[in-house]
Amino acid sequence: MPPGTVLAPPALEARDLHKSYGTHQVLRGVDLTVAPGRLVAVVGENGAGKSTLLKSLAGVLAADRGEVILHGTLGHCPQEPILNGSLTVEQHLRYFAAAQRLPGPERGLELVRRLGFERYLRTVTGELSGGTRQKLNLTLALLHDPDVLLLDEPYQGFDWETYLRFWELAEELRSRGKAIVVITHLVFEQERFDLLADLVDGRLVTRTTTATSTEEAHRADV
Amino acid sequence: MRTSDTRRPPVAYRQFPTALRFSVRDQTRNRLAGLLLVLFVPTWYLVMDALAGGEVLEFKLFATGDVLRVDGGRLTLITAGLNCVTMIAGFVVFDAVRKALAFDRRLVFAGYGQATLIGAKTLAVVVVATAIALYTALAVLFFWRPSAGGWCAVLAGFTVIALTYGALGLLLGVVVKRDLEGFFLIIMGGLMDTFLQNPLGNPLANEPALQWFPSFGPMQFAAGGAFGGTALWGHLALGLLWAAAFSAVGLAVFWIRTRSRNRAR
Repeated sequence: MPPGTVLAPPALEARDLHKSYGTHQVLRGVDLTVAPGRLVAVVGENGAGKSTLLKSLAGVLAADRGEVILHGTLGHCPQEPILNGSLTVEQHLRYFAAAQRLPGPERGLELVRRLGFERYLRTVTGELSGGTRQKLNLTLALLHDPDVLLLDEPYQGFDWETYLRFWELAEELRSRGKAIVVITHLVFEQERFDLLADLVDGRLVTRTTTATSTEEAHRADV
Repeated sequence: MRTSDTRRPPVAYRQFPTALRFSVRDQTRNRLAGLLLVLFVPTWYLVMDALAGGEVLEFKLFATGDVLRVDGGRLTLITAGLNCVTMIAGFVVFDAVRKALAFDRRLVFAGYGQATLIGAKTLAVVVVATAIALYTALAVLFFWRPSAGGWCAVLAGFTVIALTYGALGLLLGVVVKRDLEGFFLIIMGGLMDTFLQNPLGNPLANEPALQWFPSFGPMQFAAGGAFGGTALWGHLALGLLWAAAFSAVGLAVFWIRTRSRNRAR
């Protein structure tokens, strides 16, 4: 590091996160540090606890033990789209713009255009396809241009073109210094990520995306 | 969770009117409830009116101790109206609150004030319950023309029971896990509650035990106004107390279920 360089604080830090459901221990001391402008994939088998980890990071679920420190605003895209089936896409944008105290729904409308579902703006979400519901689910997480993004299987149900648009968007966010954590059970394009973190036995094991070697560690820093 | 962020853009989209508008919309998009209002309310009046006939019944006003001798058909129209209102108001609010709970939680996480959301939801329940009560009270006029004061008493009774069962719907919406459980509790609760108030073929009617049911106050107020020419405000207030109690518990559970779960250690 050159002399005089000021180290930016991490955007997201998780320390020693534990979570059990009854006697089943899901998280057994997860540590994760994500710097601004970094893209991390959390991978693992079905039932490894990836969504539990993300919910704990987002504050949706109470961890039994441990600490999450967030520097900046947070956007969380849950695995199952959480929408109101009786409201239209446009009404969702207005509702969440009000929640985020935004001056208007313009940012949401821009995201809708970029993800290519503007023709559904006046459709109630109960009538949308799974893929379009997921696009809105993602849009709501990005609406306020958060500093830290927690995305749980964000591209499930996307067609190939939307998948590529998602990555364009993710690259742009990363270049603007946003920290992004993506949960995925399959990693097709590992080179897109700065780090892969495997959730194994309730702990994160880091794996670099360019080398084949696996680094056994209980701490994932990037 | 600890956060170092303190930036907040100015409030341009006002949260309360937005939440109120969308909550009312949410509760009025229930097509089955709309169908029940249009078809079930007049049908139920028709059936109950035909079944009850014009038999003279004794109805006790607990506030004065007076026993009124009233037309059984008309008294049954009041209990039928109360029954319709309990079912429809409870169903509408329960369905909307239960379906939107996870969504509301997401709104709170996105920055919605919990108190704002709760206030807007409560007001939406009041608006919708009042509209249901008004419709049901207007529909009774096809079967019975009470005096203006008597009709106002019936409307007030219907409004209070609509608020009570709307609040019960809210409470069940945040507590009950499955649709069926909530619907069963609302329908059976409303049916028992209102049926017991009517002396037509009910040995429990006019007994003090009735005072412990939510529709007791509204029924006393409506019947007292319609048949006795009295306004039993205390009994109307008793009905409102039930509404306040149900909504207080429901909103407290809503508050707990929509708050952030993370605790920094």
